[in-house]
Amino acid sequence: MNNSDIRVLLVDDDEMIRDCVAAYLEDEGFSVHGAASGEEALESITAISPAVCISDMRLPVMNGEEFICRAHALCPGTGYLLHTGMLYSLSDPLRAIGMTADDVLLKPIHDLSKLVNKIKHIAAAGRTL
Amino acid sequence: MEYRDRLSDIISFLPDATWAIDTEGTVIAWNRAVEELTGVKAESIIGKGNFEYAVPFYGRRLPILVDVAITPNLEQERHYKLFRRDGDTVEAEIFVPHFRPGGVYLWAKARRLLDAAGNVIGAIETVRDITEHKRLQERMVQTEKMVMVGGLAAGMAHEINNPLGAIMQHAQNIERRVSADIPANLKAAAEVGVDLDLVRAYLQKRGILDFIGHIRSAGMRASDIISNMLRFSRRGDFGAEYADLSALLERVLKLAGTDYDMKKKYDFSRIELQRRYAADLPPVMMTVAELEQALLNILKNAAQAMASAAMIRPPHIILRTGVSEGMVLIEIEDNGPGMDETTRLRIFEPFFTTKEVGVGTGLGLSVAYAIVTTGHGGSIEVQSRPGEGSRFTIKLPLQGRG
Repeated sequence: MNNSDIRVLLVDDDEMIRDCVAAYLEDEGFSVHGAASGEEALESITAISPAVCISDMRLPVMNGEEFICRAHALCPGTGYLLHTGMLYSLSDPLRAIGMTADDVLLKPIHDLSKLVNKIKHIAAAGRTL
Repeated sequence: MEYRDRLSDIISFLPDATWAIDTEGTVIAWNRAVEELTGVKAESIIGKGNFEYAVPFYGRRLPILVDVAITPNLEQERHYKLFRRDGDTVEAEIFVPHFRPGGVYLWAKARRLLDAAGNVIGAIETVRDITEHKRLQERMVQTEKMVMVGGLAAGMAHEINNPLGAIMQHAQNIERRVSADIPANLKAAAEVGVDLDLVRAYLQKRGILDFIGHIRSAGMRASDIISNMLRFSRRGDFGAEYADLSALLERVLKLAGTDYDMKKKYDFSRIELQRRYAADLPPVMMTVAELEQALLNILKNAAQAMASAAMIRPPHIILRTGVSEGMVLIEIEDNGPGMDETTRLRIFEPFFTTKEVGVGTGLGLSVAYAIVTTGHGGSIEVQSRPGEGSRFTIKLPLQGRG
C-alpha cells in the first residue's frame, strides 16, 4: 500500500500540535486531516474513513476517551491512538474496543518516525482484516 | 545517703534512660534503661566523676546537658539542636551516631536537684529515644514534598508538553525538510533555483544541523524531567504482577552496564558486584518496569558517587535480598564517599542534588522513592556516614500494596 492511500485524522485543539505532526506525516506521504474537537471530528470521520485516528485526551467538551468510543461506533475499521500528556492507564471502554497500552502515545512524541511505523503497522493490519 | 538510695531505686524503674550527678559531678544514679542504651553498667560508673558519663555518648569527657542544668553555659548551649531552658529544666535534641547502625536521636531533658532547704545538690538527666518518631517525620515531609511536586507537574505537564512537542517535532521537521530523500524538497528547491546538496553542505559547515540536533536532545531532557515529576502524582498499581526479584536485579545490572552515561562516565564495569541474594525468595508483587527504574536510579547514584570521589579502595556494590516480617528486603550498599547527615536527610527530596549543574537533575532518587513508597506501598531508607559508603534499604510488601 502506498502511504498516500493511508488517511490519518488528527484530533487536537492545539493547532500547533496538529501542524507539526501533520507536517511530518505529510512528508511521509500520508494524507492527513485535522479536527480541533471531538465534535468536529465526528462530523467528518465517516467521510474521511481514516485508517488511523490520533486523538488528544484533553479536548474541549468531549474528551478523547469519549470521542474514540463514539468514533469507533461510526468507523469500527479505524485504528485509534490516544495522545496524552499525563500518565494514563486505559479505561475499560477503550479496552473493550481492543485498544492496548501500545495505543497510548505519551506527549510530547520524541521521535515522529516511531509514530510513522505505528501508523503503517495499523494500516497494514487493517487491510488484512 | 538514704536520699540517694531512694532516688536510685526510683529512677532504676523509669523507662527512659536516666542518671543523676551531685554538685561535684559524681554519678549518683544510673538506671537500667541507660545501661541498655549505652552498654555501661551502673556498678562501673556510679561514684565516678570527671565527666565519665559523657564518654558513652560523645566518646570523650566534656560537660553535657546535666551540667548545663546546674551551671548555665551559653557557649555550650549554642551547640545543641533545639535547646530550650524553662525555669529549672533544660532540654535539647542529641544525635548519637554510634549507638545503632544509622544512629540514634535522643530527646534529652535535665533538671537541678534541690534539697529541702532549696540548695542545689546535683542534677538529673533523662533521654528518650525518638529515632522512630524522627524517621516517621522525615517520611511525612518527604511524601508531602512529593505530592506537592506531583501536583505541580500535573498542572504544568499539559501546558508545557504541547510547546515542548512543537519545539522537538519541528526540529525534526526541519531536519527532514533539508533532506534530499523527500521528492517535495527537491521540487521546492528546483522551483527557487537552489541546489539542495549545497544547502545541506552549508548547514553542515556552519554547524546548523548540529544545532538542530541539540534542540531535539535539549527538548528530550526537559521532557524527561516532566515525566519524572509526573510519577510523584501517580497512585496505585499499574500492571502489577508477581515477579522474581533476583532475575529483576540481574536485568537492572545488565541495564546499568549498557546505559550510556554509566558506561562512559562512571565506568560501571569497573565496579565489583557482590551478589548476596536469598536463595528461596518467593515471587514479589511489583510493577516490573517501575521497580527496574527505581533500582537503576539507586545504582546510578552509587556509581556517580564512587566515580566522583578519589577512591582509596576499589569500588564495589553489594546487593542483598531477603525476607523479614512479610516484607521483602533489597539492599544496595556501596563503598563510596558516603554522605553527611544533612545530605542524608534530604537525599530523596525532589530536585535536591549535590552534583554540578547539568550532571543530575536531583530527581533520580526521589523517583525511586516515589516508586517504592506510593507505587508499591514499601519503604526506602538510606544509612550513610562520610567516608563509609551508603546503604539503601528497600522493603516491599510480599503481597503487594495492602
